[in-house]
Amino acid sequence: MRRMKWGNVYLIFVFIILYTPIFYLLFYSFNSGGTMHHFQGFTLEWYKEVFHDTRLLIIVLNTLIVALLSALISTVLGVIGALAIYYVKSRQVKNTLLTFNNVLIVSPDVIIGASFLILFTIAGIKLGFVSVLLSHIAFSVPIVVLMVLPKLQEMSPTWIDAARDLGANEWHILTRIVLPFITPGIFAGFFMALTYSLDDFAVTFFVTGNGFSTLSVEIYSRARQGISLSINALSALLFLLTIVLVAGYYWISQKGSRLYGMWKK
Amino acid sequence: MEQEVIIRFDGVTKQYDGLVVLDWVSFEIERGKFYTLLGPSGCGKTTILRLIAGFTEPTEGTIYFHGQPVNHVPANKRQVNTVFQDYALFPHLNVFENVAFGLRVKKMKEAEIRDKVAEALQFVNLQGYETRNIQEMSGGQRQRVAIARAIVNEPEVLLLDEPLSALDLKLRTEMQYELRELQRRLGITFIFVTHDQEEALAMSDQIFVLNKGKIEQSGTPKDIYDEPVNRFVADFIGESNILAGRMVKDYLVEFAGKQFTCVDYGFQENEQVDIVIRPEDLEITAPDRGKLRVRVDSQLFRGVHYEICCYDENGNEWLVHSTKKAEVGEEIGLYFEAEAIHVMHVKDGDDEK
Repeated sequence: MRRMKWGNVYLIFVFIILYTPIFYLLFYSFNSGGTMHHFQGFTLEWYKEVFHDTRLLIIVLNTLIVALLSALISTVLGVIGALAIYYVKSRQVKNTLLTFNNVLIVSPDVIIGASFLILFTIAGIKLGFVSVLLSHIAFSVPIVVLMVLPKLQEMSPTWIDAARDLGANEWHILTRIVLPFITPGIFAGFFMALTYSLDDFAVTFFVTGNGFSTLSVEIYSRARQGISLSINALSALLFLLTIVLVAGYYWISQKGSRLYGMWKK
Repeated sequence: MEQEVIIRFDGVTKQYDGLVVLDWVSFEIERGKFYTLLGPSGCGKTTILRLIAGFTEPTEGTIYFHGQPVNHVPANKRQVNTVFQDYALFPHLNVFENVAFGLRVKKMKEAEIRDKVAEALQFVNLQGYETRNIQEMSGGQRQRVAIARAIVNEPEVLLLDEPLSALDLKLRTEMQYELRELQRRLGITFIFVTHDQEEALAMSDQIFVLNKGKIEQSGTPKDIYDEPVNRFVADFIGESNILAGRMVKDYLVEFAGKQFTCVDYGFQENEQVDIVIRPEDLEITAPDRGKLRVRVDSQLFRGVHYEICCYDENGNEWLVHSTKKAEVGEEIGLYFEAEAIHVMHVKDGDDEK
């Protein structure tokens, strides 16, 4: 009982440390004083400013487009990759592939960003929308693989035997058994890829070029120029969006079975 | 009526990584009969089923369907359907869609699918459950869905891989009756895999007893129970007293230090044999009136009968099933008919008949 209590205290402490800066930022986004140390009065002025900043809105749009596209493409690639790993018979090959996959997840963004920069330069790809999109796809694919693979491994091998026994060919098995079953994993992977892409700063910072920017890079450069509370407002909105996405992810993984219905005729 | 052979195994051998699972097995399966593959786990019975279903190919030998070799025909092209041990129902589909699966992949018309599924569900007494999820069904109901899903495709042969092993005793007995009844109504061949000899005896027209990748004996339940060909079969099919003995001459066998008349003949003189007497064929009498004199060692009440364990003066154990009670430590006589003695060759041999 006593141990439980201390455990809770510790947990609350950690959460306070993690969330205080964010709430601090949120709180002052409503400050009419224009600074982050003296709250003068409530205002939505900074939010208004954000919505009147056309350049910023275009960047938001860019960010969303990159996030959606990269999430979509990486989901497709990731599902194919997970299926490939699942169908590989040799244990050794399977583990090697998985290790290659996981290395990409744990390796620092700076290194991935720098290596992409070198790659794009050598390959002659112009830095901008395409380079950002490509790199986002690249770091999202391993995440999708990691979200989908456990779902595949949950499948009972006899389902596939049963389907074949009932006359199904490989295509039927894929579209009528495997894909419907792993749908929750696919959605989870998609949302994870989406949030990773929205959040990403380090990789994007390296591979973005003139005239193209995403939100996190823009916020960074604005913060360096001087403090404006519109950045706080923007951060607040971003935080909210992330919360919504995470909630969406949880909703899907909890109510996963409901999604099966989508595949019914 | 002439019996038509549907499936024929000809010298089929199956190895997994050099390990022989099936060893030169040959047999025939006829139309409209209930077959059981019976044996302990690892005897190769499930492998036979997987070979028939087409999930795996034989290492050697040929499997014929209606006289055509089908070694390389994939599972989805065979007129055979399987009821799996874990039922393998698709969790993302409801009862109707599970049953309709095979028809849908055959691109059957919607109206026809609806009729056939309804008919199949009626066959297994599951009308009205169409929209249920698999998770909402009990073990016995899932079993029925699995059967309906298989028979809706009108297979020539239905394979059942220990489908009753996950059910409780009462339900299992009920399902035994139902399966037998279903097989009669459908008139198709059932091949049933089990390690439960009571199940096999109760349901089958024909039993194949398997051990270590070989068929030890095949025959009707009565053949197998009354005339087991060797020690393994006798031991596996029900409890029995198995003793080493010597065939003195035709109709005379010696065991437990005495000679007894029996009904077996055709053995060599003084051949070493195994003899079997079923516990229910032994009758308790007064010590001087029995053919054997034994001392009661222990006794268990089994409900239908007492299971009495005795030893004779030579130290042989005798298991007796009797409705009469005995006293532990008491000396009793055991009486049995000459027909109750069954003599078997010691070596695996099928040449007894």
